[in-house]
Amino acid sequence: MKQSTFDNKYLPYILLIPTFFILVVFLFYPAIETFRLSFFKIHPWTGAEKFAGFYNFVKIFTNRDYLRSFILSAFFALIVIAAGLFLSLLIALLLNQKIKGMRFYRSLLIWPYALSPAIAGALFNFLFNPANGVLCYFTGFRTWLTNGNTAIIVVIIAAVWKNLGYNIIFYLTSLRNVPGAALESASIDGAGSVKKFIYITFAFLSPTTFFLFVMNTIYAYFASFGLIDVLTEGGPSGSTKILIYYLYKDFFVHSKIGYAAAESLVLFSLVVGVTALQFRTAGKKVHYQ
Amino acid sequence: MEKLKMIVIAMLITVILPFAVFAGGSVDVDESATVSIEFWHAMSGARVDLIQGIVDKFMAENPNIKVDVQYTGSYNDTLNKVKSAYKAGNAPDVFHSYEIGTLGLINSGIISPLDEIAKKFKRKIPWDDFFTPVQSYYKYQGEHYSMPFNSSTPLIFYNKTFFKKAGLDVDNPPKTYEDIRAAAVKLKAAGYENPVTWNLHSWYFEQMICLQDEPFVNDKNGRSGKLPTEVVFNGEAGQNVLNWWIGMEKDGLFLDVGPGWSNHRAAFGSGEVAIVMSSSSDVNRLTAALEEKGWGMGTGYIPRPEGAKGGVAIGGGSLWMTNNHTSEEELAALKLITYISEDESQIAWHKGTGYFPVRKTAMDQLKSEGWFDENPNYLTAFNQLLDSPETLNTSGGLLGIFPEARELIQSAIQEMYTGKPVKQALDEAAAKANASIAEWNEVIQ
Repeated sequence: MKQSTFDNKYLPYILLIPTFFILVVFLFYPAIETFRLSFFKIHPWTGAEKFAGFYNFVKIFTNRDYLRSFILSAFFALIVIAAGLFLSLLIALLLNQKIKGMRFYRSLLIWPYALSPAIAGALFNFLFNPANGVLCYFTGFRTWLTNGNTAIIVVIIAAVWKNLGYNIIFYLTSLRNVPGAALESASIDGAGSVKKFIYITFAFLSPTTFFLFVMNTIYAYFASFGLIDVLTEGGPSGSTKILIYYLYKDFFVHSKIGYAAAESLVLFSLVVGVTALQFRTAGKKVHYQ
Repeated sequence: MEKLKMIVIAMLITVILPFAVFAGGSVDVDESATVSIEFWHAMSGARVDLIQGIVDKFMAENPNIKVDVQYTGSYNDTLNKVKSAYKAGNAPDVFHSYEIGTLGLINSGIISPLDEIAKKFKRKIPWDDFFTPVQSYYKYQGEHYSMPFNSSTPLIFYNKTFFKKAGLDVDNPPKTYEDIRAAAVKLKAAGYENPVTWNLHSWYFEQMICLQDEPFVNDKNGRSGKLPTEVVFNGEAGQNVLNWWIGMEKDGLFLDVGPGWSNHRAAFGSGEVAIVMSSSSDVNRLTAALEEKGWGMGTGYIPRPEGAKGGVAIGGGSLWMTNNHTSEEELAALKLITYISEDESQIAWHKGTGYFPVRKTAMDQLKSEGWFDENPNYLTAFNQLLDSPETLNTSGGLLGIFPEARELIQSAIQEMYTGKPVKQALDEAAAKANASIAEWNEVIQ
């Protein structure tokens, strides 16, 4: 097949202009502004700026509440990623069987992904709120959301559940692409189903797993804001106040613009750092077909 | 033709305005000039239509003024939108803020003080007609900076049917800490497991400090003209409140329902609890919820320690004008917020929401209509307010970082639930608040 080409040298750039325009306005400019603002003290109303050097960074990293939030976020992300990937792989394997009505189950399982975080939060609130939560009634345990130890568990469950659909779709698609011939020859060689899964299926799934790892890291650090806002408002006593929620409070409620800029830079570097680390370590072991 | 007229007027203004300002602070403006202004408010649900209705009436009476009303989310969202809009040069002429934003806004550099604008146009706002607690909250250094709008105080709501079953006096609600506790013990004995609740909100704590006639912050409760430098909510008054509150929780008399405004209402409406504290603007809602189940509801003043002599401070919000507008727009904005504070609007507002009317004449009109005979629970809230002495403490504390202080207090209360001593948790919250105050005071100047 012959591919058609454009001779015009400038055409590609012209075609890229709209994308670049969007990127500059909504991504590059705000990112550079945030970087700049993190070195200033800023008037909450007029936005008047006073240069402050590393003041904001020193302040946030000597603040025990912030450090606690930092550790909490890492813990939260770790569990959300591990539990999320494990469960979705398990469900995807089950969904890959030939059972009657599979399409129906599949849509049901992917459903949570279509909900906005705020709606997902409202659903969990319906189950767990201390006044009239359905599960509070059935478990006889009231303080799911008002006890710091259980509140974080509820938030983690909600965050994992909310993102299951996304992970399942990707796992299911790649399970479809595991070549039957490889599995068949392994069977002939005498491999049991566990061995087949570990050495063949999972090997084929490794690029997807790696991709989902990165996406789930971003999800855990950035996208769980809505859930927390609806379920616990970061409480009780900061026990569900992960970095993104901390940042929200500092900017939108406390109007500490300089702090918020520094915090968002920290959060940005953190996620970029974790992703880069994954590329350097796990990324090398990934088997691409 | 219309356009030409506008141009001529605009030219006249540019020529006359400087002279007028230098001539002694009053301005001649063409009151019949066509202007359009923007008004952003933070009242959701059915209240959106209610405010639109009031504004529509205003526009009908002032055909040359067009008001674009917008609901811009919560108070907090609204303030954030105002900030961004101001920086972009298109701030609304009038916006709505919660009471705790007052000191921040006074020092924000983006607003025009109400009294100053009124003076500029030689219009007198009849402040004597406003209820004292209402106007004294929004008065700073003798000047009114914003127009009181939606005003409320907390109240105790109790389930009369449950009170009867527990052998309590149905017509005599508990008044002191000890009364509430004793009632809770009796209710618990009658089978109501956690008989008392209110949502986790610092507002109750603040009000119960006012009831003891103690300040929330230093420098005359933030009203001395200097920016306050320290919070004092961790003093004895604050500890009294929380020793009692946390004590009830520890003894299983109080149900912790967390933050937000829906859980405690739900718990009261479903009969889970028999006593709640909530905003007086909840009278409509809670009465309806209990009526549905066939239960009677009563209201009472919020509790105080035996012998405390203070009163409640007003909560709610007020209407602010931003600066950097033409005189025509300023005048139109002034007319709008004055109209909203007048009797007709306030009575419609009160009946539709449960917030107080802010003026005495509106109150008199409601009384003569017999409104309070039909709705006695509204009278409780009024009386509680009118029974409050006027002091710097009951005027309400002013603090630039009030929203943050509230969060620190709420977080401290949650720590107390898990066993941290009241004084220690309050001291820690106060130390954090003081650090933030120092930073805020530095940045704002």
